[in-house]
Amino acid sequence: MDSLVIENVSHWYGETRVLNDINLRIEAGQIVAVVGPSGCGKSTLLKAILGTHPTNEGTIKADGIPVTGPSRHVGMVYQHYSLYDFLTAEDNVALGLKLDETSLPYRWFAWPAWHKKRKEHLERAREYLRRVNLQDAAKRYPSGLSGGMRQRVAIAQAMILKPKILLLDEPFGALDEATREDLQIMLLQFYQENLRAKAEGRVPEYTMLFVTHELNEALYVADRVIGLSRFHSDGHLGATVVYDRPCPIFKPEDPRDFSRLLEQKEELRNAVFDPDYIKHHSEYVSFWDEIALEAANLKAN
Amino acid sequence: MVRSPIPPWLMIVLSIGGLVVALGVYGILSARQTAINETQSVLPGIKGMGEGFTKIRAPQGTESNPKPSWLWQDTKASVTRLFAGTAIGVVASIVIGILMGSYRWIEAPLAPIISFMAKIPPTAMLPLYMIAFGTSTNLFIAMVALGIFFSMAQSVFQATRQDVTQEAIQKAYTLGASDMEIIFEIIWPQIMPRILENIRLQIGPAMVFLIAAEVLFADVGFGYRIRMESRLLRMNTVYWYLALLGGFGLLLDWLMLKLRQYLAPWFQG
Repeated sequence: MDSLVIENVSHWYGETRVLNDINLRIEAGQIVAVVGPSGCGKSTLLKAILGTHPTNEGTIKADGIPVTGPSRHVGMVYQHYSLYDFLTAEDNVALGLKLDETSLPYRWFAWPAWHKKRKEHLERAREYLRRVNLQDAAKRYPSGLSGGMRQRVAIAQAMILKPKILLLDEPFGALDEATREDLQIMLLQFYQENLRAKAEGRVPEYTMLFVTHELNEALYVADRVIGLSRFHSDGHLGATVVYDRPCPIFKPEDPRDFSRLLEQKEELRNAVFDPDYIKHHSEYVSFWDEIALEAANLKAN
Repeated sequence: MVRSPIPPWLMIVLSIGGLVVALGVYGILSARQTAINETQSVLPGIKGMGEGFTKIRAPQGTESNPKPSWLWQDTKASVTRLFAGTAIGVVASIVIGILMGSYRWIEAPLAPIISFMAKIPPTAMLPLYMIAFGTSTNLFIAMVALGIFFSMAQSVFQATRQDVTQEAIQKAYTLGASDMEIIFEIIWPQIMPRILENIRLQIGPAMVFLIAAEVLFADVGFGYRIRMESRLLRMNTVYWYLALLGGFGLLLDWLMLKLRQYLAPWFQG
């Protein structure tokens, strides 16, 4: 059930070491936030998982398959440039099905069959647009959509291929606050669907890793927060995971009560963002231990 | 104030007014010239222009060997050359430009040659083309095709590099695209309206190259007829040809604009 496994990954540009010995295991159905000081290598890590910047050391596996380049197993949503201008919303979402399930010669030479398949693709695309509450915008071009709508389409576009993991690089960074809240709630709804799937013994569909610079957003949306920074005892070797803990789970209908997050936010500030607080990098890396402990407690009760 | 709007009716009145004034000035000059010399053909009046029109439409040749009118002969020759040349130049520059923008190992050997050639004024290359292609139809086609090829290949290359972001390409790979699909499904639709815009802008230069070559080497065509007739100061035919060239250019321009709006409704500048 591991969607993503990162083992001993290090990366450097010339003489500068950016990432040092990163180890990470992400299970299907987790929504993970990555935070860290600017320039700590969050983007480099995302590019390594995406496969555009192969790592210098270590291995990254998506669903057990080593990542050697961008592929349909790892989805991506950027902050900008998220959609193709020349396609309508539904065509943008259907693009993955078209590229993944058919080939150029098929589309050129077997066009009656392609025509039929195309209809089915568009139907599936509209189903995904429904999931992100955009069924009414199917025929519109990106230039006619607001920033928030574009990001919704981009998420549907990436999700339609059911990637093992979906990477989001500051996906809501350019949006106004109200839109951003709507999209956060949408992610919380996906998480609830994950929980339902798990309870019914199915594999949860939405596994996400998103980079954000807002700690509230990280703690509110995610069920697990990872901090990346070079403020630890081996910091001269590069940034590594210095924080990895579960965080409170909000339901979409819960009030946005951030006072619940204050304590952990303080802890994050300390562990990830404070250059003077130097510690062993594993001091706050306890996600899997805490999960195991919780499971043991459940059993004991 | 700069750019302050004017009412639409004034806009229309002024644009008609401009045309009327231009024609009026011509009329006055023409009448004065006729007063000095009744047989003048430099600034022909309405009557002279009418004669010119009849002349360019009159059938040529002898009774045993009839030939179509000048207008028909010249239009056929020039339009064929222009379209064949433009088509070859455009297709070649699209293929080369996209390949250069997609593969560094194609860009590396070609980019220096193309940027050098694009700096040579195409009409200066005419003697070279004459040696290579003779003075048959091929010369005019080659002149137009090569005249627009180098600068257009550069713009297609630039468009491929700049209009298609790295993110757009990487994202397509995450959606399961192959290399060929990146070119045909991502790069091509993204830059297509930019290319149509480029073709539209190249129609002007293409006509310049064609007329220049025809003036020098042709025995039929717009450039040839204009040269022959202006030698004899028969401006009543020359002016008709110039007006036709202007109208033809405007028409092509408009058609390309409509084509772009139809094929890429999403495109904005």
